[in-house]
Amino acid sequence: MSAQLIQVSGRMVSLIESGDGEPTVYLHGFADVHGVAGEMLPFHMDLAKRTRLLAPAHPGCNGSDDLPGPHSIEDAVFHYLEVFDALGLKEFNLIGHSVGGWIAAEIAVRHPAMVRKLVLIGATGLFVTNEPIGDVFMHTQPERGVDYSTLRRMYFSAADEPLALRYYPDGRGDLDEETRRYQMIRFCSFVGFKPPYLYNRSLVDRLHRAKMPSLVVWGEKDGLTPIAHGHAYAQGLPGSGPLKIIRGAGHAAHVEAQDETGDAIATFLRS
Amino acid sequence: MIDPVQLYAWHFMSYPHLPADFDEKYDSGWVTVPNKLWDKDRSRGLLNTYIDQLAYADELGFDGMVLNEHHQNIYGLMPSPNIIAAALTQRTKRGKIVVLGNLLPLHANPLRVAEEYAMIDNMSDGRLIAGFAPGSGPETFNYNVASAPSRDQFWEAVDLIRQAWTREGPFMFEGHHYPLRYVNPWPQPTQRPHPDIWIPGARSRDTLTQIAKNGYCYFLSSRSHGKDTAKAVDRFADTLKAHGDRYLPKRMGILMSTYVAETDAIAQEESREGIWYFLRNCLKGHQRREGRQLTFGPGVPYIPANEFREYLAQSDPTTPLLGDTQDWGDLQRAQSIIVGSPDTVFERFMSVLEHAPVGHLLIQFHMGNMSDECARKSMRLFWDEVAPRLKKETGRMFNERFGRDEAALEAVKA
Repeated sequence: MSAQLIQVSGRMVSLIESGDGEPTVYLHGFADVHGVAGEMLPFHMDLAKRTRLLAPAHPGCNGSDDLPGPHSIEDAVFHYLEVFDALGLKEFNLIGHSVGGWIAAEIAVRHPAMVRKLVLIGATGLFVTNEPIGDVFMHTQPERGVDYSTLRRMYFSAADEPLALRYYPDGRGDLDEETRRYQMIRFCSFVGFKPPYLYNRSLVDRLHRAKMPSLVVWGEKDGLTPIAHGHAYAQGLPGSGPLKIIRGAGHAAHVEAQDETGDAIATFLRS
Repeated sequence: MIDPVQLYAWHFMSYPHLPADFDEKYDSGWVTVPNKLWDKDRSRGLLNTYIDQLAYADELGFDGMVLNEHHQNIYGLMPSPNIIAAALTQRTKRGKIVVLGNLLPLHANPLRVAEEYAMIDNMSDGRLIAGFAPGSGPETFNYNVASAPSRDQFWEAVDLIRQAWTREGPFMFEGHHYPLRYVNPWPQPTQRPHPDIWIPGARSRDTLTQIAKNGYCYFLSSRSHGKDTAKAVDRFADTLKAHGDRYLPKRMGILMSTYVAETDAIAQEESREGIWYFLRNCLKGHQRREGRQLTFGPGVPYIPANEFREYLAQSDPTTPLLGDTQDWGDLQRAQSIIVGSPDTVFERFMSVLEHAPVGHLLIQFHMGNMSDECARKSMRLFWDEVAPRLKKETGRMFNERFGRDEAALEAVKA
């Protein structure tokens, strides 16, 4: 595994790379590599045993420079096209979780030829009537200044899930981890606060262009992106089978239930 | 000669008719506080009572009246301070009308603010002080303002408004957030080149730099005044120096709250209910640990990540906030709400001003559900018995400490 900074159009992008074989780009979410953890999690390490896994940090996150000035989801998508150019990636698997899944879907509908296979885990990005994406911004404000239990429930199946407590403890956490959490929410404030929150109303009608084989995976107890969004992605992506539901897991299904989620993704990538 | 401290009456216009068990039953007085609690009958005439109190401050002789903008809360019932300011132009004759401020990122087009402020300046014959504020956490939620780009948006809007008041129109404004083909507002403000501009700020170095560079007045956004207030003055003075300017008291203002009565004991007795209503209810969701504070923190990421990291390294999330104040002793130490006889209030105000020599004191008299009678009595006693001494003492102190700086600045101008 190597962590490095690469130069992309004059900006630095923090990238963690591991494994050999065909390239797979991984775009992160909140309770995830770069979103809180400084390195790849067991899910990513397992995946890197069968593919060359490249995990860039979003602009402003974990050592990546901010995009210049205020930026939108369109700017984030264009940023990733520049990242792919810089890495010489022409065709690759694309996995995205949460807001990273939204960006992956936006890339896939614009440049379907680049994406060999698409995997979305608890992806935001769609507007589904009466199924709003959770208010991650409000729940990132702790109760009584110290209590992050409602935020933990957004990302995990339960507020007392051990990994939830590991990454979002009550009170002041590890300074580096709290800073990465802040950087990720700030990135989301730029690209996804408006409309409220984290979706592009046009995306659902564009999914038909992403005809590559696709797998949509959702934690049964996702507290951030309602499972209806998973069904909407699975229905809208022509190359997707039915939604793969990870029983008992929350939003970060691949972190909380890494074996089951990892196996489903490995099987899909092999097929 | 340097002017003595300028004294303004600030009205927040809080909602005074909450049920007695509000704190037990409701998480917050901000954003999500259910508006079914608005009592239509008891609230008849409420805003006019508050306007009357401000007009009374003008009659007494205060240097000005201060208004600000809040949305969807019980802390401040002034979503549009410009409407109250318009009323004051017709009710008052002499005092400055300080709108501190309009929240610029909430506007689709900030030219509207340039226009409305110009109207207020005309209607008051040049008495407007034009405050601009970026908003903070609550606006993120109650007006759907994205936190991260809001500072950038704010400074562009300030720039647009100042240009709209000073550049010959029509001109094109090539902004990132507010690109406009034709900028040419009518009417123009009465004051030339434009009304004084005040900008609130707390810690941000970038804010201080912008204020210093552009000749604006810095209003310190803090309700408590200990060592940090003196530090803020020093930091601002350093920033001014770095831009070839010098600190004078007229460049900076702070907020104080007070209740004045005949004796300390009477003052405590009369203000007790209003103050604790204010601390427990109005500050819940804003400056209180109980519930979910929305004003500042990781969920409203308007400051850059490096500044937030510094904040994390220097702060303790369990430190009580003003609204967590337990008793009168705590309240005294916070140097926020100063309660007492004219002597007590004079001494305690002077001790703040000696450490933090600011030229504008923006003073909150009405707190929470305080009665009209008490609010007026406190204003009157303050004006008759505290203000003359504050004016005299600060006039002497400011000239001793800053007379040479002023002379030097005058010499540069000449």
